[in-house]
Amino acid sequence: MSRPVIGLTTYAEEARFGLNDTFAAVLPLAYVHAVHRSGGRAILITPDDPDVDVLDGLDGMVFTGGSDVDPSLYGERPHPTTVVKPERDAAEMMLLRAALDADLPLLAICRGMQLMAVAYGGRLHQHLPDVLGHDNHRPTSGPKFGVHLVDTKPGSLAHAVLGDGITVNSFHHQGVADPGKLEPTGWCPEDGVVEVVEDPDRAFAIGVQWHPEDTNDFRLFAALAAAAAARRSSAVDAR
Amino acid sequence: MRPIVGITSYVEHAAWGVWTDALAVLVPHTYVEAVTAAGGRAVVLPPDDTDGDAVRAVDALVIAGGADVGPDLYGDEPGPLTVIRPGRDQGEVALVRAALAADLPVLGICRGMQLLAVLHGGRLHQHLPDVLGHDKHRPASGLYGSHGVTFAPGSLAAGILDDGEVNTYHHQGVADPGSMVPTGWADDGLIEVIEDPAKRFVIGVQWHPEEAGDVRLFRALVRAARIR
Repeated sequence: MSRPVIGLTTYAEEARFGLNDTFAAVLPLAYVHAVHRSGGRAILITPDDPDVDVLDGLDGMVFTGGSDVDPSLYGERPHPTTVVKPERDAAEMMLLRAALDADLPLLAICRGMQLMAVAYGGRLHQHLPDVLGHDNHRPTSGPKFGVHLVDTKPGSLAHAVLGDGITVNSFHHQGVADPGKLEPTGWCPEDGVVEVVEDPDRAFAIGVQWHPEDTNDFRLFAALAAAAAARRSSAVDAR
Repeated sequence: MRPIVGITSYVEHAAWGVWTDALAVLVPHTYVEAVTAAGGRAVVLPPDDTDGDAVRAVDALVIAGGADVGPDLYGDEPGPLTVIRPGRDQGEVALVRAALAADLPVLGICRGMQLLAVLHGGRLHQHLPDVLGHDKHRPASGLYGSHGVTFAPGSLAAGILDDGEVNTYHHQGVADPGSMVPTGWADDGLIEVIEDPAKRFVIGVQWHPEEAGDVRLFRALVRAARIR
């Protein structure tokens, strides 16, 4: 039995490495590592030439972190601190909708979670310090990541995977103001920021605001890989 | 439905956007653009330490350029100027072997061509200026050169390309193509193209068609993937 193949959305940006300074398809290795350690096989999906045909060979998807979601997608003007990549938004929104239509198991992380909320008709806070009065979710000094608790809702997928609550790392300045038709199932107890969203009508569709790939806690990736493997074996059985 | 073309990737410390130094999987976007222009759907294949099962998800493979191939793969000690990435070697060897076993169309570029030679029992020159007495294949750090190339009549390469100038940026080269057949040469006699005539489409080129915006080899790769 070969591993489920998990697609990961990818940055397309000017990148510097070694002697090179070039426009590149680029993604932190941590995402790939988390997928491989959790029993999946990672494949990077670039945002060029958007078309959903690439999903056919995949058993699951991770919508990764990155720039802010374009506020025009939820009918607002950009805040001065908002940095967008419209090409990535267009490609990923198309992939996300198609993945949901196909009930492909998906895990959305940080920007990915926010994209998911917008796809379900929700809205974002464009700069959390304006709303919360603090910058705990993306510290401006000290260690890169903020640290806080997340409480999960009993009976939710988040609760089944993570238990009552966990301590998470945090690096985002935007947040979910309105999850649209998604169900919020996790919150930061200190300020009420939505940290987890789910679609209970899908086999596995969950978004989290923190960065599990940058920790040693790969339970969400393992749950994704298990859902992807189950979908794959049922597809093989049906053949 | 477009053929899915997997592109192997670098793993390097990189800086982009808000990231000042992250270990990253990356590949120059010119590879992605060449695949797209050729009618394929590009995906990027990170190296992995387990096996080559990812070829199940693709219809063709591009082995991208990058650091030097580890000389341990062809039984040599590393030379003083050889820069290797053992993790990438290991992951790509598994992918390329799986692709060859599945008779997937394969296009090797620069390092990718050299890896094809090594996996077919060949060997590399570890620093061409030591062998050729000139540095025309990599005039300076970060600077592409150019030179003429001619193809063997009747070869796969000759059917896709025309004799002429190519861009060049490499300091290693194929000393022995193993069981691959050389079908293209630079002005100075260096092997520039290798093929496996026993396979439907397995070809390696020493230059960088993706940087030149020359999609002919990519188009041929995608065509071969469609016929599959």
